[in-house]
Amino acid sequence: MLKKLMLALPVVAMMSGAALGADDYPDRSIRFIIGFGAGGNADTVARIVAEPMSKDLGQPVVVESKPGAGGNVASDFVSKSDPDGYTIQLMVGGHAVSAALYKSQPFDPLHDFTFISTIGQFPFFVAAQAGAFESIEDLIAKAKAAPGTLKIGHSGVGSTQHLTGELMDLKTGADFIHVPYKGGAAAATALLGGEVDVVIDTGTVMTPQEAAGSFDILAVSSAVRWPDKPDVPTLSETVSPDFDIVSWTGVGMPAGVPAEVADKLRASLHAAMADPDVAARIAKLGAKPSPSSGEEMRAMVERQIGLWKTVVDAAGIQKR
Amino acid sequence: MAEQFLLGLSVVLQPHVLMYAFFGVLLGQVIGVLPGVGAITAISLLLPVTFYLDPTSSVILLAGIYYGSQYGGAIASILLNLPGTPSSVVTCLEGYPLAQSGRAGFALLVTAISSFIGSMFGVLIVVLAAIPMAALALKFGAPEYTMLVALGLVAASLISSGSPIRAFSMALVGIALGMVGSDANTGQYRFVATDALADGISLVSLAMGLFGVSEIIRNASNVETRKIDIKLSYKDLLPTRAELRSMVSPVGRGASIGAFFGALPGTGAAIAAFMAYALERRISRTPKEFGKGHLPGLCAPESANNAAAQTSFIPTLTLGIPGDAVMALIIGALILNGIIPGPRLIVDEPQLFWGVIASFFVGNIILLIINIPLIGLWVRLLSIPYHRLYPAIVLLICVGVYSHRSSVTDVVLTLVFGLLGYVMKWFRFEPAPVLLGFVLGPMLEENFRRTMLLYSGDFTVFVTRPISATLVFCGVALLVFTFVSAIVSRRKTLKSLKGHSGPFSV
Repeated sequence: MLKKLMLALPVVAMMSGAALGADDYPDRSIRFIIGFGAGGNADTVARIVAEPMSKDLGQPVVVESKPGAGGNVASDFVSKSDPDGYTIQLMVGGHAVSAALYKSQPFDPLHDFTFISTIGQFPFFVAAQAGAFESIEDLIAKAKAAPGTLKIGHSGVGSTQHLTGELMDLKTGADFIHVPYKGGAAAATALLGGEVDVVIDTGTVMTPQEAAGSFDILAVSSAVRWPDKPDVPTLSETVSPDFDIVSWTGVGMPAGVPAEVADKLRASLHAAMADPDVAARIAKLGAKPSPSSGEEMRAMVERQIGLWKTVVDAAGIQKR
Repeated sequence: MAEQFLLGLSVVLQPHVLMYAFFGVLLGQVIGVLPGVGAITAISLLLPVTFYLDPTSSVILLAGIYYGSQYGGAIASILLNLPGTPSSVVTCLEGYPLAQSGRAGFALLVTAISSFIGSMFGVLIVVLAAIPMAALALKFGAPEYTMLVALGLVAASLISSGSPIRAFSMALVGIALGMVGSDANTGQYRFVATDALADGISLVSLAMGLFGVSEIIRNASNVETRKIDIKLSYKDLLPTRAELRSMVSPVGRGASIGAFFGALPGTGAAIAAFMAYALERRISRTPKEFGKGHLPGLCAPESANNAAAQTSFIPTLTLGIPGDAVMALIIGALILNGIIPGPRLIVDEPQLFWGVIASFFVGNIILLIINIPLIGLWVRLLSIPYHRLYPAIVLLICVGVYSHRSSVTDVVLTLVFGLLGYVMKWFRFEPAPVLLGFVLGPMLEENFRRTMLLYSGDFTVFVTRPISATLVFCGVALLVFTFVSAIVSRRKTLKSLKGHSGPFSV
């Protein structure tokens, strides 16, 4: 009898794992859900932090891809998972964009999630073919002088890159043609071939082309100059005061995760990011490592949802 | 150039690097044979491993999986009418009939040789002309892609062995299926019945369903057991001198088409194979032989898809621009290793650049060496009674399709397409034009609408830009040529009938 009870003990312990709180969390592997295909920015970031977190927590953090509908498939899945701390999600700036872009979502982008921390923040760069424009002021002046002629290539309708371009139109009064491509790489190809005049995308797409002398980077979308590129002026200091777009990656969980569990995971994530090697890898992706509190992340998501709703409405982008 | 290539060889021939090249191509070969499991799945599974490797070994390993899968893809196509990869769909058309007539071993040998020659031609282009090819690719803007795809669709209506009207209507079905998902130009959802369809129907489930599953249903519903006389002696395996001679030009044409399409970002191996097949049919003196195991129709597309697999590395390595999802993964592996590929890769990391290219050369030789002895083993697969084989195949298809993007809907759709393919066969409609329409239709729409957006609705861009104008001319010439030759041959038939007396004279 006693033997049987002893055998059953681990099972009972496992079943009540969530209820027991943070002391024995985690006692099994953690699923780290990403809403995009393998090899992309989101996947890479997830893998960079998953490795040291696995070591720190003593349980494997397994990256799992649930691609589809611009990350909404994964968000839907995570929002409906058990809030026991064993399902976490890599969130991206698109989480806030989707909230503005979709007529209805099967989840609430704010209230159905526990926000843990941002991982990296990254701005967008405005680039043109080398020598095509003297400066960002020159570009905007030429765009205003001939409305509806200069073309911006972007990585897809409803991408953060697209909406950043639309916001630039709204704030400067310029009137660009916004041309969608399948991804930032295709848009950069179009700029290389001279099919579009401008591309707005991340540093990973732009920097190699700038280093090779094919592109000039004219401006950055963040409020202050970006540490990696101190010579590149911001849009806000040149043509559009208060322009401030910074996209991000971060970690979220379903709503209702016990605070101790969330804190433990946040501590582990922050410890991973404190490792200079991990920080360097995140920086290589063109992002600034930016650990935050859950409240800070939540406030940022809420602010961005509001901003994108304004842009989608003002630019007349059809909701889907 | 020779010096840099030797530098690359010295990188690859280090034992540990050579080992990764070997593992890569071997795994690729296996993945290619498994229906539905594509190179993308295998590469994304192995991506974390590259954390622990140096960047050169990582890329050599992952690249090996990709071009190795092109070899493997042909095997299931020939033996079971199951395209292992989307680019080996065309291989089914001639390879499967050959296997049915007992010449599976012969077909496998011929594809291995064609694949090898195609690949080597592709590698040669990468070594000699990577930079000019990349420059040419950049000249292809939206109008050029539009006309290239239009030309492809015109050629496609010629690849069916039945009537052109039937082929054309099937291509329309394919285009309609390709519309499902979000519209690239507005982001609006079209025909999205459930959220699972938001990103469109998967090419893998369509190809698996129409070709593989429909064939399984057909075989399973045949009461009499299938019996193929398997010939395995060397005499039956080796091509005759005449057959060898008939292979030379198709392999050469296939390799050239493949090398060209591969270097264009956004096209790739599947389209190259279709184009090579269409060209062979168009210029053949015996078009009636196609669909019955005609040799040029087998070698040309195999040579093309392998050449394309090699040259698709050109935009990736020289511009840092991935042409398709597989290349995006390989760039992802480089970024994980802290290298951001771009135009400076060739200057900053010559060991990596030339090492990877030299690995293609070595990898293809390894592939040829492991493929030929395996032929006997593969062919014996056919001696397993079909009723024992097909449950395993169905299971493999389901797992393969699911692994592609973890979607149950895709699995269900594969079975639905299988039924559709069975019904189509019943009514003598062919599946190949459906697939071509499915691949090319959305590309045509996307690029046409992008052209209209870029040039404010001005149609003349198609004829004022030189490359686009050339493509328009080719398309029109092809159409005119087809009509004229149809009329001429009808006249001839009428004349020959008139010559005869009797009840059938006209």
